[in-house]
Amino acid sequence: MKFDLDAVLVEHGCAGSALATRILRALPRHVPVTHVADNETREATRPASGARDPFGAGKRRMVIARRKTPFLMPCHAGSSRFACCGYLVLTLASNCPMDCSYCFLQEYLADNPAFQVYANFTDSFDELDRLIDNARGRSFRVGTAELADSLAFDSITSISRDLIDFFASRENLTLELKTKTDEIENLLGRDPRGRVLVSWTLSPAAVYRSSEHLTASPTARIAAARAVLDAGYRVAFHLDPLIAYPGAERDYLLLIDELLDTIAPKQISFISMGGLRMTPRLRGAARSRFPGDPMLCGEDVLAADGRFRTFTPLRLNLYRTLADRFRKAGAEIPAYLCMEAASVHESVFGAAPSRPAIIGNRLARD
Amino acid sequence: MNADEIDAQIRMLAAERRLPPSHLARWLAMDPASRAAMLDIARVIRLRTGQLMTALETLEEIAVREHVTAAGVLGRPEIRRIAGGPGSAPSRASALLEALRTLRYPLLKKMQEQIRSEVSALKLPRGISVVLPKELGSDELTVSLRVRSAAELARLLEALDRSRTGLTRIIEMLGGKR
Ligand code: SF4
Repeated sequence: MKFDLDAVLVEHGCAGSALATRILRALPRHVPVTHVADNETREATRPASGARDPFGAGKRRMVIARRKTPFLMPCHAGSSRFACCGYLVLTLASNCPMDCSYCFLQEYLADNPAFQVYANFTDSFDELDRLIDNARGRSFRVGTAELADSLAFDSITSISRDLIDFFASRENLTLELKTKTDEIENLLGRDPRGRVLVSWTLSPAAVYRSSEHLTASPTARIAAARAVLDAGYRVAFHLDPLIAYPGAERDYLLLIDELLDTIAPKQISFISMGGLRMTPRLRGAARSRFPGDPMLCGEDVLAADGRFRTFTPLRLNLYRTLADRFRKAGAEIPAYLCMEAASVHESVFGAAPSRPAIIGNRLARD
Repeated sequence: MNADEIDAQIRMLAAERRLPPSHLARWLAMDPASRAAMLDIARVIRLRTGQLMTALETLEEIAVREHVTAAGVLGRPEIRRIAGGPGSAPSRASALLEALRTLRYPLLKKMQEQIRSEVSALKLPRGISVVLPKELGSDELTVSLRVRSAAELARLLEALDRSRTGLTRIIEMLGGKR
């Protein structure tokens, strides 16, 4: 186990579950385990009033619980019941043991910060089967990193093994695991049959050191990507959040060089980029938890969408510089911008973005 | 004054100005030299409550960005000139906040200046106004015409057409192309 836990709480109803058994077996002896009544989990994990950093404390309390709501949800960006690009979110955990200063979970999970894993996670496979039965001929991409890192704690939960085996046997589904770890041991021995894509968020060393606490180093992430690529997985990368600190352009270009020296452009399924964006509430929470992090004090201004973003010319210039570097690398890597207007996409890439459905289908079928 | 006396003076000023407790706490969390320097400038140019809050926030952010102390920032020549310069207290207070903002957002300020000078170089006639996005928070340029006759419209459109290259350059600057 690479991350410290202060405690593990197990709901009574989950005590005999396969997941609880796995976790308790792999847990270091010094971590106390408590059993709680099923309806008392929320109360038992509520941070003590006046606690100094309730969100940070929540990350170190793992709760093995039963998920009572569906696992499968449309991606936030989707407008209809299921996202038009076929991207679905599978919530198998909530919160993350790493601690990035800019992480949106600081706002999103502020009231419920315990690190939860769901003992009944295999129920999600029934949901997925029902989905493909009801939508014959369609392909779906399913990601597990909406409220958590896909691989953090995989060394004790081994959930990735079940996921890979399930997705490897379903023609119309692609699993997307997204991570900042190098916890890939469980992936290496399995055959994903082309149905699993693993993506890494990459940041220059300066951002990693200043803001991405407990994550694997950028070099370790790239090495892990190389290893899973060699093991038959598809790989992708997110330069998101891009942070426009002094020297950022040089550092991001060096990072891209390091990436392309290790992984040929044609082996990269896609690149996404997105500038750091923070609601005022998230910015307040992040700065109060990480008051000394200069990455949170960039030249950001309140944009029309109500989020603080790096002022536009600086942000777009950085996008364009990085997009050019990828373009010059030779192979056409599919690239898109996350949470930017179509006009920005056009200004950076010289063309309007493909319709989400087209991007999604391509990624699901390639 | 020793550190305790300085803190007592800070508390007194904060009470007078009804400074929110969170801002008082930020002030008191600064290193002793920064606490004293802030007290000094707040008194000399009689910062009002909102100005004091903005100054504390901006100073704190500059200090984090540049790995310096607030005292180091307040000791820079451009700030000392404002603190000790001529002019009324309110005008020096606004000049101080503007100077701090320039230190906090150096590239933004520079870019705004460059684009504004591009706009004035166009020498557009009255009736045409060019409005930059607030804080360069988008890439949208607003160009508007105010006319009362067809002849006036024709004249302004011609002027706009003559300024096409300059306007294009401004749009490209907003889009981060220059
Ligand atoms: S790795 Fe991702 S989920 Fe975890 S703290 Fe960082 S940004 Fe948040």
